Amino acid sequence: MGGKEIDWNQLHQRMAAANAMIAHGWIPSPAERKRILKERAELLAVAEEKQTTEQTIEIVEFLLAREHYGIESSSIREVYPLKDYTPLPGVPSFVLGLMNVRGRIISVVDIKRFFDMPEKGISNLNKVIIINDHKMELGILADEILGVRNIAISELDQPLPTLTGILEKFVRGVTGECLVVLDAARILADQNIVVHEEV
Amino acid sequence: MDTKEAEFLQKLLAMFKVEAREHLNVISFGLTTMGEGGSARSAELVETVFREAHSLKGAARSVNLIDIVNLCQVMEEVFAALKGGRVDLSAQTCDALQQTVDYCFRLVDGEEITTADKSVIRELKSRLGDAVSEDSGREKTTEPMSAQDRQLAEEVTEKDKEGEEPFVQKPEITESLERSADLTPSLPPERQPPTSAGPVAPETVRIATSKLDALLLQAEEMISLKIAAGQRAAELRELKRSFDLWKKKRPRERLIGRTNDLHPDSPLLTDPFISSLDTRLMAMVRAAEYDQRSSAAMIDMMLDDMKKTLMLPFSSLLEMLPRVIRDLSRAAGKKVALTTEGGDIDVDRRILEEMKDPLIHLIRNCVDHGIEPVSERETKGKPADGTMKIAVSSKDNKIEIAITDDGAGIDVARIKSAAVRHSVVSQEEADKLGDQEAMHLIFHSGVTTSPLITDISGRGLGLTIVREKVEKLNGTVAVDSQIDKGTIFRIVVPLTFATFRGTLVRVAEQLFVLPSCNVECVARARRETIQTVENRETIVFEGRPISLVRLADVLQMKSAAARRMQEKGPVQIIILGFAEKRIAFVVDEVLREQEVLVKPLGGQLSRVKNISGATVLANGKVAPILNVSDLLKSVAKNSSSFAAGETTLPEKSLSILVVEDSITARALLKNILESAGYQVQTAVDGLDGLTTLKSREFDIVVTDVEMPRMNGFELTARIRSDKKFMELPVVLVTALESREDRERGIDVGASAYIVKSSFDQSNLLEVIERLI
Repeated sequence: MGGKEIDWNQLHQRMAAANAMIAHGWIPSPAERKRILKERAELLAVAEEKQTTEQTIEIVEFLLAREHYGIESSSIREVYPLKDYTPLPGVPSFVLGLMNVRGRIISVVDIKRFFDMPEKGISNLNKVIIINDHKMELGILADEILGVRNIAISELDQPLPTLTGILEKFVRGVTGECLVVLDAARILADQNIVVHEEV
Repeated sequence: MDTKEAEFLQKLLAMFKVEAREHLNVISFGLTTMGEGGSARSAELVETVFREAHSLKGAARSVNLIDIVNLCQVMEEVFAALKGGRVDLSAQTCDALQQTVDYCFRLVDGEEITTADKSVIRELKSRLGDAVSEDSGREKTTEPMSAQDRQLAEEVTEKDKEGEEPFVQKPEITESLERSADLTPSLPPERQPPTSAGPVAPETVRIATSKLDALLLQAEEMISLKIAAGQRAAELRELKRSFDLWKKKRPRERLIGRTNDLHPDSPLLTDPFISSLDTRLMAMVRAAEYDQRSSAAMIDMMLDDMKKTLMLPFSSLLEMLPRVIRDLSRAAGKKVALTTEGGDIDVDRRILEEMKDPLIHLIRNCVDHGIEPVSERETKGKPADGTMKIAVSSKDNKIEIAITDDGAGIDVARIKSAAVRHSVVSQEEADKLGDQEAMHLIFHSGVTTSPLITDISGRGLGLTIVREKVEKLNGTVAVDSQIDKGTIFRIVVPLTFATFRGTLVRVAEQLFVLPSCNVECVARARRETIQTVENRETIVFEGRPISLVRLADVLQMKSAAARRMQEKGPVQIIILGFAEKRIAFVVDEVLREQEVLVKPLGGQLSRVKNISGATVLANGKVAPILNVSDLLKSVAKNSSSFAAGETTLPEKSLSILVVEDSITARALLKNILESAGYQVQTAVDGLDGLTTLKSREFDIVVTDVEMPRMNGFELTARIRSDKKFMELPVVLVTALESREDRERGIDVGASAYIVKSSFDQSNLLEVIERLI
């Protein structure tokens, strides 16, 4: 054999050290234990601090056409499947119609109409996000609900894409991954969304 | 102050406002009644207003509104003196007290008090002070209450013992907060007043109306559960029936040997199993029927109780009226005394709310036009003070509100001439009308701004609102009058916001509800009976021709195809009447009449043309309730577009193609046009526009000039070169303002050329309107 010699001696020593470790390593000395615990505690404490300094909001993420949108979950009353709705004649096109939510009549608004987005057929996959404040309540038509997640407020500082008019007022911010977070309070307070027409 | 505290203070203030208005209304009402004399209840009244003033003072102090505290203090002193019998209520004192109440109202509403007001308040205080001191021999009100008064005050409530010093200097905010914290839940007095005179009021709790409304909604929703239970029971009965049928048929089938595939001894067909299935099914049918009956009874009872919970005495509305009348009559320089009756009748809160405006309108009318000026009254030999009486009575689940005045009355001849002048009725029609019918014309909106009875305009409008509001509640309003004797308005409305009868109709694929009270007749009409008069379709009803329109057209629905199909056979018509007008509407189908529970459309749809509300049908679907008054107005307004000629009928609401490459401009244009009621589709450049144009029909094209791929000039030229689009109007909207460009635009065949710099909504909309 021309290659390396196997150093059996060294091998035996390493085996012995490993055995010793197995025998003692699981039961660290009290001092050692204290040190480890302290280390862990410090680590945890730091992580905690990091979380509190970063303010987050919980949003419900949904799709409009192919774009991602979000609304802060605190302003959402509920999300309801669009099982059936009644269109109304003579209302602006952004009003999809009326929906019966456990005996209450909710008007459903298709905000895609404000956003100048491509039409997508209404299907039974559509959901209605019901937002309300003390005096207004309305449903926002969503193509699909993606889920609930937390995002940091600091993330919402991305420059707005070319949004205009009514749309700009509704947007609270855009994240780096192009999630447009809508401002429910401003949607509810906006006069443009209220239909008031006399004959 | 941290935000939580500020929020709390805000909430507290809101609560105080509600409470304060209640107290002030009661005081004002009490003062008016006392002012009119009648000593029978006066002691009781003084007691009431005294308590109210005292409670208000306590409440005001808890939110640190020192001005109100001070005003209440003065009032309280006067009331205490009245109560002790030390002074009599003079007319001046009563007036001063009313004015004080007014200032309190203004303070409660958060109005700024000017320095001029302040001096008035000072004067009021001293006047009231004098009133008290006249007999008791005290000199100034600014002195603290006498020990006797204080004792009286303490008898009322022990709420704020330590604050009894009448003119406490402004307490620190912190103090007021502490105090408010323990005052707001309106703690029961630590010790019951030893001598609680008078009948014991039933125990009450204060609940936010929103909570009650939510409860009522849920209770109403139980109705659908009730209906569903009925349906389940019926389905089970049906199942049992077909099972019985199968049982009967089975032995026969066995004989003919149809059950080859099943072994005769198969456990499925052995009798013990079948009979147990039979028994179980029978038991289930019985149980379902029992459940249905008991749940129906429970739900009906709960709804009934729930509705009762929402009832308020009518006095809660009447109490605010004396003040309104006082203000109005003072402004008009007249004297009007108000008496009320039937304030103890309980009415649905929502009805009360809806009745507030009509009542105020009627009262305003009465003070403005009904009651004559003092001098005129004197020459007529009437007492100088006009009287107005509001009497509420209930009968058969309905209430009647009669508003009577002893004023000038309504001159029928003048109404007729005004109605003719405003072409509400023709001269012949007017001549034919009886007094009663003619009198009803004053509710007509067409007679709004006419000098009906006096030359002050506006009378008609108010009465139209009255009628609309009342009819919305499914009620009626009538008027009777005698010249120089007076006028009486009678409003009859339901006691509760109960269901009303609605007629369900289908137009295209949609269901609508029409209030049955407006449905005069439902019929099928053969095509031959429809006549065309002056290019309008009419039909003869009760010997008179009435116009015939398609409900789909009036609602601007896209149901052209459905309409053409039914043109062949007889048409289903429904004749709707509102006030004096009658119009026949063509619908696709009249389904049935049923109970309908009106639900509001919500804040986002604050008012929708032709639709007054919605209801939930038994299958859970929402059906809009049509507003008949609006429908008739829509017909009148768009009568030209409902002309009979097939070609002139609008197939749908007009649609516009917007071609614009800038997303901003595109969104802006779309928004402007849509809010003007057009249907808008967009395209990003000329080529896209051209393709879109071929995909469907448009009434007009609005296009930018500078665009990639194909510009506006090119697009216009292409449109013009296509035979199909020769007539299609094209509007060029552009930033180019040169004469050459304008000329080029005209050369290629554009119908209009609007320069963006002069681009405002009205300009564009005007142009479009002219072109379509």
